[in-house]
Amino acid sequence: MIVEDAAPLVRWPERFNEVPKEVFHREDVYQLELERIFRGPEWHMLAHVAEIPKRGDYKTTYIGEMPVLLVRGDDDQIRVFANACAHRGVQLATCSRGHVEHFECPYHRWTFSIRGDLMGAPGIKDFSAQFRREDFGLRPLRTSQVHGIVFATSSVDAVPLEEHLKDTTDYIAKALGGDGNLQFIGHQKATFACNWKEYSDSDGYHGPLLHTAHRLMKWPVAKGVQFMTERAHKVTSIDLTHVPKGGTLNDNSIIETHEEGLMPHNTVISIFPLYIIVRNNDTINLRYAFPRSVHETEVHFAYFARATDPPEMVTHRVRQASNLQGPSGFVALEDGAVFNRQHIGSYTAGTVAFQKGYAGTAMHAPVHLQKDDEAGNLIRWEHYREAMGFARA
Amino acid sequence: MSALDDHDMRGWADCFADEASYVCTTRENEEQGLAVALMMDDTRERIEDRINSVTNVWAGTFEDYSTRHVVQRLSCVQRLPQVFVVKSNFIVAYTTARGKSEMLAAGCYHDEITITGERPRFQSKRAVLDSVITPRYLVYPV
Repeated sequence: MIVEDAAPLVRWPERFNEVPKEVFHREDVYQLELERIFRGPEWHMLAHVAEIPKRGDYKTTYIGEMPVLLVRGDDDQIRVFANACAHRGVQLATCSRGHVEHFECPYHRWTFSIRGDLMGAPGIKDFSAQFRREDFGLRPLRTSQVHGIVFATSSVDAVPLEEHLKDTTDYIAKALGGDGNLQFIGHQKATFACNWKEYSDSDGYHGPLLHTAHRLMKWPVAKGVQFMTERAHKVTSIDLTHVPKGGTLNDNSIIETHEEGLMPHNTVISIFPLYIIVRNNDTINLRYAFPRSVHETEVHFAYFARATDPPEMVTHRVRQASNLQGPSGFVALEDGAVFNRQHIGSYTAGTVAFQKGYAGTAMHAPVHLQKDDEAGNLIRWEHYREAMGFARA
Repeated sequence: MSALDDHDMRGWADCFADEASYVCTTRENEEQGLAVALMMDDTRERIEDRINSVTNVWAGTFEDYSTRHVVQRLSCVQRLPQVFVVKSNFIVAYTTARGKSEMLAAGCYHDEITITGERPRFQSKRAVLDSVITPRYLVYPV
């Protein structure tokens, strides 16, 4: 029998600045992404340690479609586990955030300590001869932290986190206000009817053309930098000027920086594949995202204050977080409409093309960009193409 | 309700007392003692700014949708001669240009209503959503 070579899943366009629209809606491409990217050698941003400040505090979230559980152990270490009982695989913790003495599976009452060890299982004397309790702890994932931000990966091949995030960590510190000494003040969650790559292509980048709010406020944007890292992360940091009073807002405080001695800035670190750290004025925001399907992306916006903030500063950050960014945010709301419309448009034939900042016909994009350039995304797309093993036509 | 469903933002704002507060948050944030909300118009200035955001700043940038609020009063307690504390359930359906109706949010209002002359107005209105995850964005107040 002659077996012919299978046709390549996706033939990538010849031109460097083009991306085939089919990758935004094909189920087979999505399944391969779950394997090569979400279970592949990347790190995934899951939480800040301030979200689970006490021993026994836990948070549940997802890497791709895989449910994961983060828990602060009785030794203060934060561990990340697959959120499934080690016995028959039942989802273990169901709340988004909570506190426990231990975890108990409702199916056969197996119990696990907050370090993930199997403590007890009813009927243990009837188990198979090969059963060893130490083999049946919760399945741990590799985890590491930068400025208190917890990352994890299910891949043994991922490079150490410090190497993965090379050239971003100073900007992450800048976004958080110096270091990871934060307190958690709340979250907002939304789901968008778009592919995860449409979300990651747009959130954290979209020229100020979209943001009428900036224009109406006469908010002059000063100088800024945008660059891409070796691992396809994007850093944008723009100095903001103080917004003049008498613009479009009656209450300017939602766009003011009150933090002492700090020049207002907008700093955005977009971490491959789809995680974003945002600092805008006094708003400190981590955006965790995960695909629910090839057609749906869920985004959790987590907000923080500095742990040392006086109460009035916390209140100010809460008001700003509740009105500026997020799914109903003054300068962010219309993003959702673009995500959804990009996805509908992806069913038309051909490619999407990135233009601004991409000069000529080179097979690479510039690493250092103007602050509003879109060409940086091409470096992320090149990383994606290689990770997926798609050859160019 | 009819002001909201008619997208009459001025009419919505006029339902509030001169100094008033509108907050839309989730039950998840409330239960976890987290102060961040989805919308926090805790002053008259913020309420006016929301009118401006919806009618001017965001105009033409979002995919519009219509809403139908269905509200059921659960309790009404007179706290002072002119002040009532009212709790109500709500369900909000939304319909996009495509014509498909879906649920936008379900939750509970916690309102404080003052009566000035003949006219009842919200001193404070808290919309607490059971729907922790909203479909895309909330343009209009709930």
